[in-house]
Amino acid sequence: MTQRDPVRLRELAHIVRSKNAGPTMLTLDVFFNDAAAYERAAGSAALASGAVAALYEVAPGAVQRYLLPQLHAIKFSMPRKLCAGTPGDGDLYGAQQHGPLLEVLL
Amino acid sequence: MNAARRLLQGHRPGDGPLRVLSASGQLGYGIPEAAFARGMARKPHFIGADMGSIDPGPYYLGSGEMAAPEAMVRRDLTLVLRAALDAGIPLVIGSAGTAGARPQLESVTALLHEIAREQGWSFRLATIASDVPADLVVQARQQGRLAAIGPMPEPSDDDIRACSHIVGQCGTETFARAFETDPDVILAGRACDTAIFAALPELLGYPAGLALHMAKIIECTSLCCRPGGRDAMLAELDLKGFTLESMNPDSHATPASVAAHALYEQADPFLVDEPGGTLYLADARYEALDNHRTRVSGARFEPRAQPTLKIEGARRLGARAVLIAGIADPTLLQVLDSVLEAVTAKVRALVPGDWQPVPHVYGCGAVRPLPAAQRATHEAGLVLEFIAPDALLARTAAAVYKQNLLHHGYPGRVSTAGNLAFPFTPGELDANEAYGFVLYHVMAGAPLTDIFRVEAHAVGGRAAEGN
Repeated sequence: MTQRDPVRLRELAHIVRSKNAGPTMLTLDVFFNDAAAYERAAGSAALASGAVAALYEVAPGAVQRYLLPQLHAIKFSMPRKLCAGTPGDGDLYGAQQHGPLLEVLL
Repeated sequence: MNAARRLLQGHRPGDGPLRVLSASGQLGYGIPEAAFARGMARKPHFIGADMGSIDPGPYYLGSGEMAAPEAMVRRDLTLVLRAALDAGIPLVIGSAGTAGARPQLESVTALLHEIAREQGWSFRLATIASDVPADLVVQARQQGRLAAIGPMPEPSDDDIRACSHIVGQCGTETFARAFETDPDVILAGRACDTAIFAALPELLGYPAGLALHMAKIIECTSLCCRPGGRDAMLAELDLKGFTLESMNPDSHATPASVAAHALYEQADPFLVDEPGGTLYLADARYEALDNHRTRVSGARFEPRAQPTLKIEGARRLGARAVLIAGIADPTLLQVLDSVLEAVTAKVRALVPGDWQPVPHVYGCGAVRPLPAAQRATHEAGLVLEFIAPDALLARTAAAVYKQNLLHHGYPGRVSTAGNLAFPFTPGELDANEAYGFVLYHVMAGAPLTDIFRVEAHAVGGRAAEGN
């Protein structure tokens, strides 16, 4: 296998989005530019469930990962720290939680 | 005979596809008229419109107020009513008035009566009340029949009884009961988004898996298209699959855009739990018919032995006041957390009572946690909420906090004239009541037919037919 320079996820994906899945769960969808970018991401340790759990500071094992090769997409779902709309929650719809994924090196 | 019976007696699945028009994913925010008119020109068999969600947070369920402005709700209701009555087809509206609680169902029912009176229309309405008595939930909790969906703190019996409203999401089986009253229009309290669109196809004999999958996609109208939008969406359902088509010619349903929609707001892209069973999407197929339409097939539904009930409940936490200010001093930005702690202690000594400050420091981790190196060093926005049993105490705490933070001396301070930049006066604002979700649970063994009460009403001048 040839050594590749790491690339930031945002350069390999055209949609990186977050949203609530009900008020207790957060879900992150990443749609990669093409099959090669998807393969690179799906095979990367940086996007393993445990790595994403660490990135979002949730318990290891709390992140579910779904691979959707036909869509060149990877989805992650995890529990929210606060139920949506609880005082202290700063993102009612969970729509601005995608930031940490953008910078992941693949 | 009214619209529901005409459709149920007049259409057979073998006759040709069932045309289902989704008018709105959120009735009350302005249904785009041109696409809706194009949809009506396609002679749909019925119109569906979702009106609510749990998404806007606990306030609307807790308070019983509508999220959408009443003038726009009236506009949108008039639009879909006129179209359905002119065409003589059923209109199905779900999650009345945002959260679908009793006051919201009553508000929207009253609007329907008013519109009918103003326009001189008459029709037969079936309403579905979705409120769940707290005692039933307490009993279910005590008997171990209540399970949280995701991480919800376990509610006490008192928490449950403190909910101002508890609603259950009705499914296709409840809509089927409402259709038995032969309505022209159904207005449901809290309802599964899918049930609005899947109930009639199921009653007509279409496969439940296809009907629910179709419903799941079109309930958001053209959001599943590229570019996505809010325009009316038409589905043509047959016994083998369904075809999706946006009524905006510039918004295209492609296999990729439709398949991607299966991920939207959904924790698991392959499984969708419905009250009556589980929808399996892993074998779903998406094929382009042309560059505007996509054909979908392959979804499977497995019924469960006993339908379950998803319930939602919110309770009042107190009144809320909000203090808004900017901070641009680099030294203060570095020590802001400890300054807020010190000022909180100072104000606690000055303002007795059960008030709670909740800081949101924009630029320093209000939206998502930020490491120290990424926090704002130029300026940050301070939004401090104060929650107290009454509005006067919340506002008092906010005002005293404001003045103490403005003049707080911290180590290294050079800006001794003041710490805060106010964009307006007063800097503290009343901000409604604060609510929190107590229930987002599944209740097993719920008496669905007792909970979801179906009522038939004659609206407008004409005496109701049927019954």
